[in-house]
Amino acid sequence: MNLTEAGESRVRGYLFVLDRSLRVSANAALAADAVREVESHIRERVAESPGLPNERDALEAILVRLGSPSTVARAYSLEMIMEEAAVGGRLVAVLRSLFHIAGTGIGGFFVSMLLFTGYAMGAALIVTAALKPIFPNNVGLWVHRGISFGAEFPAPEGVTPLGGYWIIPICLVAGLGILIVTHRIGRRWLAGVRQRLLNSRAQRQR
Amino acid sequence: MAPEHWMEQLRRGSLELAVLLAIGPDRRYGLEILRHLEFADLVVAEGTIYPLLARLERDGFLKADWVEGEGPRPRKYYQLTASGRARMKKMCEEFRALAGGIEQMIESVLGRRR
Repeated sequence: MNLTEAGESRVRGYLFVLDRSLRVSANAALAADAVREVESHIRERVAESPGLPNERDALEAILVRLGSPSTVARAYSLEMIMEEAAVGGRLVAVLRSLFHIAGTGIGGFFVSMLLFTGYAMGAALIVTAALKPIFPNNVGLWVHRGISFGAEFPAPEGVTPLGGYWIIPICLVAGLGILIVTHRIGRRWLAGVRQRLLNSRAQRQR
Repeated sequence: MAPEHWMEQLRRGSLELAVLLAIGPDRRYGLEILRHLEFADLVVAEGTIYPLLARLERDGFLKADWVEGEGPRPRKYYQLTASGRARMKKMCEEFRALAGGIEQMIESVLGRRR
């Protein structure tokens, strides 16, 4: 069947959503190649379809068989998640890989939890630095029933946080430092896990 | 585990071998591979075959090339590499051993298939 403008628009829409979904976890070149291949698939199916009972239903049937853009993108992301994280090092890819590995074994779970804690600490320090100028009396070092650090809402009565605005550069430097170190350790660990997987695959072939 | 989840896992686990077998000694593009898999009822969503092909290509088991002029759009053709052929052979041996063992157990419980 030959697609009308409405059909073409439906195909373009599908490919657009697929492209956007893929770019969340894949690099641009890989996403472009994947979209090109899926488009080739749709065009082949459309060309061989008699277009019955009508173009709209026939095209929907083709797209349903193919799977939704999010289903296809999720399948790509599962296949390349480790490689993207280890080679590309994108934060989203590393976090997704850690989440994935956390569910595969006890060792993976504990290492992933440690790394997640590192990311959370780094992010918390940066958020603290960002909150200080907005809530100067709620954020800082608290010496009140023990020592604590961070934001308190509402601020304890009669207690002023220590550290003043000095905590902004300190938190920024410490937060970024922890994030960078955690990210580097995470990438290195994922590269090791990936290498072990590749080695075991190669061994199985011998 | 619900039977449909078990079937899905079984399909997923067999899909890589089925894809390698579907390509076999030839050069095939995605839709052609899917047509070979259709009779085995192995693919739930057709689009999920492409990520698997991409991964096998990245791992060096498949070699892929875009070819223009053979269809309404350029086609990406896949071919087994030497390491892909070795992997397919190894997987076939393992699958046969596993299937043979399970078949024997089924026979001992349910009897021989007529």
